[in-house]
Amino acid sequence: MKEQVLNILTELCPGIDFEHETALIDDGLVDSLDIVSIVSEFMAAFDVELSVEDLQPENFNTVDAMVEMIQRAQG
Amino acid sequence: MKAKKWVGLFCLTVALLVGLVMAFNYVTDPFGAFGDPLFQWFSYDETNNPRVAKISYLDTHHEEYDSYILGCSSTSSFPTEAFNQLYDANFYNLIMYDADMLDCEKIARYLIDHYEVRYLILNVYIDNGITYDEESNNLTKNLHYQTDPDTSALSYYSRYLLANPQFGLAKLKALRQDTLLPQSFDVFDEATGVYDKRVRDAEPIGSLADYLEAYPVFTDYPQYGPYGLYQTENCMNSVAAIRDMCQAAGVELIVVAGPVYKDYFQSFDREAVVRFYEALAQVTPYWDFSCSSVSCEPRYFYDATHFRNNVGEMMAARIAGDNSRWIPEDFGVYVTADNARAHMEAALDAQPLQASEISAQVPILMYHHLTEGESGGETISTEAFEAQIHTLAENGYTAVSFDELQAYVYAGAALPEKPVVITFDDGYLSNYALAYPILQKYNMKATIFAIGVSVGKDTYKDTEYAMTPHFSYEQAAEMVDSGLISVQSHTYDMHQWPPFEDGGDALRENILPLPGEGEEDYVAALTADFTRSRQELEAATGETVDVLAYPGGMYSTLTQWVLETLGVRVTLSTNSGVNTVVRGLPQTLYAMKRLGMDDSVTSDGLLALLQQAYK
Amino acid sequence: MAFTSWSFLVLAGLTVVLYYLAPRRFQWILLLAASMVFYLAGGFQALVWLLGVILVTWGCGLLLDRQNRRRKALPKDDKAGQAQIKRRKKQIAAAACLLCFGLLFAMKYWNFTVGLLPSGLGGHMPRWDFVMPLGLSFFIFQSVGYVIDVYRGKVEAQRNIAKYALFVSFFPQMVQGPIGRYDALAPQLTAERSLDWRNVQFGIQLALWGYFKKLVIADRAAVLVNAVVKENCPYGGIVVAFSILLYCIQLYCDFSGGIDITRGVARILGIEMAENFRRPIFATSLTDYWRRWHITLGQWMRDYLFYPLSLSKPFARLGKWARKHIGGLPGKIFATSLATFVVYFVIGVWHGASLKYIVFGFWNGAVITASLLMERRFQVWKAALHIQDKSLGWRIFMMARTSLLVFLGRYLTRAPRLLTALRLLKTTFTDVRLGQLADGTLLSLGLTGGDLVVIFLGMAAVLAVEFYQERGGHVREALEQKNALVQWLAMVLIVAAVLFLGVFRTGYISSEFIYKQF
Repeated sequence: MKEQVLNILTELCPGIDFEHETALIDDGLVDSLDIVSIVSEFMAAFDVELSVEDLQPENFNTVDAMVEMIQRAQG
Repeated sequence: MKAKKWVGLFCLTVALLVGLVMAFNYVTDPFGAFGDPLFQWFSYDETNNPRVAKISYLDTHHEEYDSYILGCSSTSSFPTEAFNQLYDANFYNLIMYDADMLDCEKIARYLIDHYEVRYLILNVYIDNGITYDEESNNLTKNLHYQTDPDTSALSYYSRYLLANPQFGLAKLKALRQDTLLPQSFDVFDEATGVYDKRVRDAEPIGSLADYLEAYPVFTDYPQYGPYGLYQTENCMNSVAAIRDMCQAAGVELIVVAGPVYKDYFQSFDREAVVRFYEALAQVTPYWDFSCSSVSCEPRYFYDATHFRNNVGEMMAARIAGDNSRWIPEDFGVYVTADNARAHMEAALDAQPLQASEISAQVPILMYHHLTEGESGGETISTEAFEAQIHTLAENGYTAVSFDELQAYVYAGAALPEKPVVITFDDGYLSNYALAYPILQKYNMKATIFAIGVSVGKDTYKDTEYAMTPHFSYEQAAEMVDSGLISVQSHTYDMHQWPPFEDGGDALRENILPLPGEGEEDYVAALTADFTRSRQELEAATGETVDVLAYPGGMYSTLTQWVLETLGVRVTLSTNSGVNTVVRGLPQTLYAMKRLGMDDSVTSDGLLALLQQAYK
Repeated sequence: MAFTSWSFLVLAGLTVVLYYLAPRRFQWILLLAASMVFYLAGGFQALVWLLGVILVTWGCGLLLDRQNRRRKALPKDDKAGQAQIKRRKKQIAAAACLLCFGLLFAMKYWNFTVGLLPSGLGGHMPRWDFVMPLGLSFFIFQSVGYVIDVYRGKVEAQRNIAKYALFVSFFPQMVQGPIGRYDALAPQLTAERSLDWRNVQFGIQLALWGYFKKLVIADRAAVLVNAVVKENCPYGGIVVAFSILLYCIQLYCDFSGGIDITRGVARILGIEMAENFRRPIFATSLTDYWRRWHITLGQWMRDYLFYPLSLSKPFARLGKWARKHIGGLPGKIFATSLATFVVYFVIGVWHGASLKYIVFGFWNGAVITASLLMERRFQVWKAALHIQDKSLGWRIFMMARTSLLVFLGRYLTRAPRLLTALRLLKTTFTDVRLGQLADGTLLSLGLTGGDLVVIFLGMAAVLAVEFYQERGGHVREALEQKNALVQWLAMVLIVAAVLFLGVFRTGYISSEFIYKQF
């Protein structure tokens, strides 16, 4: 799953080293537009439902956090 | 620096800067809000805010007055001098531009409560029906807090202490540019409180066409409007309040509606105008000057909303019942509630005074030296002179004196049908020896302007160079005694001739100030010169000297004003033309135009020159 | 009560003094009292609306809070119960939004909407004649944000209505924001505080800077702008462009100056309010500009409009459709882009009830959405042209491009109406009349040469400070390190500038104009 997440990320936001960044939101590398694009893509790709409440910075700062969020949504 | 220290320093710095501004505003006091402690320059302060500065002025000067004139800017031409004589009182004119009746009510209350008030003259102007209780600027148009129960002392003082310091700077700048005559920054006369109209009052006036060209504002009406007179009721309530407070305090109230330029009434609905004055009459009887034949004549006004000081004097004369002065029949009616409507209906249809009724075309001929020998230039041969006088007599011209012109202007006396004035400049012996007999022969009056220093002389005073001989005081007295000749002033010694006089840079070729001469020095010099000229002439001839021909025809507003204050009522220039002399307008006798005469003027030529006067 | 009035200074000064003198537990009550005084100065009616909004959102907050607690108490697997609570919450939040935005709509947009209707219909609709309360849209946004935060479980509801009222009505923010977040602002407002002189110093400095921008630059520039930008503007394109440039300066200095005053006063009280501007002149794209300009509005829109909208069911369905029918990256971001467009459109309309603001919204939305969709294409071009993203030249190019886009948009916000804006734009490009720069026209527009120099020197100072900040500098901290004389001179300089170039810029009339009759 991490692989797939990484693929999505690199397509939507090229030029960012997602594997090693740990503060994507806090450092301003990913903005609100990207977040929404990413989340919509996640919802389409993994068939999960994410809501506004999930859009917390801590869920997006690292790839692992995102994976965790998706797994949580999958229940 | 520690934060606490920084904050302390900040407070100190702000306090210091604000304190500096306040101190500066207090010291310069451009509105007279603090009594102008340093400069006592109230004519400046009143220009910025008459409502405030006049009250400050009265604070220290109220003992000089016992009566007051109140109203908006048209009130300025209520002459304190004339009203002082009329009521045997000491008037102060509290005119305030754009004053509404609430301003008047508040100030009247303050005056009555605080000062001795015998008479109160209230001017009710048609604009008082437009605005009421408006304060469009809280620095320039508000009342002094002492006169206004709606203004607290705190807001008043903080406002003026924290006013823009540019006002004070402008005052300092004006201080350096101040002159004897008023400028745009000091338009008030401190002692009387009126707008200082010395400049406009010194201005020569002639034909209506010339006047309208110089002041096109008169032809612009109606400019705006129609204005509604929606504040009539409020205005009259304030008039009633003033009436009641005067009654209670034993103050005699005289309500006057000053003249309004007639075309200005076109800015209003006619019925509303009638109702305005009717409402006034219901509150109190009043002297109505608002609309009459005077209102139809632009030359009686400075501009459409401000009538001339001369008209103000006519008002005072009418109220006083003084018949020695010319006043148009329909000017000034005492109006009561009974006759108000009928009077106003008629007044608003007032017809202009006919030109022939109020004005006369007066040509003035200017001669100098006569000779039986070789003539030329300004010097005319005796034959040519006699031919010209003959032409005048033959064609029905009557030579008149300046006394007659003054009587026409001031008292409305008649002038002969074809008046002409004959003048001689400089006072040459030839005037006595050659011209006088001819004038006697044709019974023609003439006026000779003698230079005091050269009377009876045939040499220049400093250098003993020979000059054309001048007649003596004895000869002058002889001519005057005939009743035909008047000898008037051409200055005592302000017509010097540089090649033949000592005096270096200080030579006075004419009556204007010397280069670099201060105003005060100049006024003193002019006063001394004219006074001596008059004294010597009057002593010799017994005739009043109040006419002066400007040497070289040169003059200025300041000159004209100084001479007026010295009692000179007619001045003559050398500008070519025929004069329009108007009843009630002394300015038509200022810097009068003259037709220069010499050998070349033939009989037909002279008639043509004179004819232009009667076109 | 304008920030530039003496009465505001007196109120702020008194509040500060009493705040630090008062017993700690009464400090917040003092702030509330000051806020009520401030708001009451704008009229009693305005206060009624404010109190109404406070009451509604506070009540809804409490109701939502109860549902939140019920939900926690419910066993996880009670799906029906959870769903029922969720429905209930939605109803409450919707009611709050409806009431608040209904009021906003009625006050701000009703008459405009009626005016748009055909006269046969519009003529019969009643007009809304109330005066719009001061800062209405700001406190509505702030309080609705609170309700949604409670709805999302992000914050706990405030039980004490007085404390909540202080959050909504804290006086420095009432004129023009910033739009505060409950979790960030409310605890600070009610905290008990002792005097920290450094807060006072920094607060005064910030407020002074705000007054400098507002009084010295913005109010001055406004004179020329007002003289030029009007119906039937008789000037050439160059003068129009110059006046719009001055308008950009005016707007920035006025708005950011006002916010600095707000934040400065709050800082004196020890309260740190949200940043609303982050040097927008350095923005490299229109999106970046909107992240730096009126930040709290942008963030509000993001959190409370953009996120819920783009994650809503209809948008999810739209996204699916686009992925299938458009495909590729554009297909993937199509729905998001549409949501972006909607957000900028709303931001445009938020500025006021007029056709021009609708076009303004379209303008921003269209440019940003287009650049979003084209982004990949640009990347290719950039790579082909060997342009380095971080190079100075490229950055300056981007800044200039962004400034131009903002500049063009400002024609819309400044002109009295849409048609005038379009006409002025046309003049700018088709009837330049360069000569008017030099023939004295510029000096006949109410400003002297000295005024123009003051504006541009003032702006140069602002830019210098912002450049320093953009590079990571902290002005007040750096100044603190200087020796006492330098600090004092800096203080005198700015106080004197504010006083003599700002406060005393107006109110003077030459005596020639006072008495015009001669």
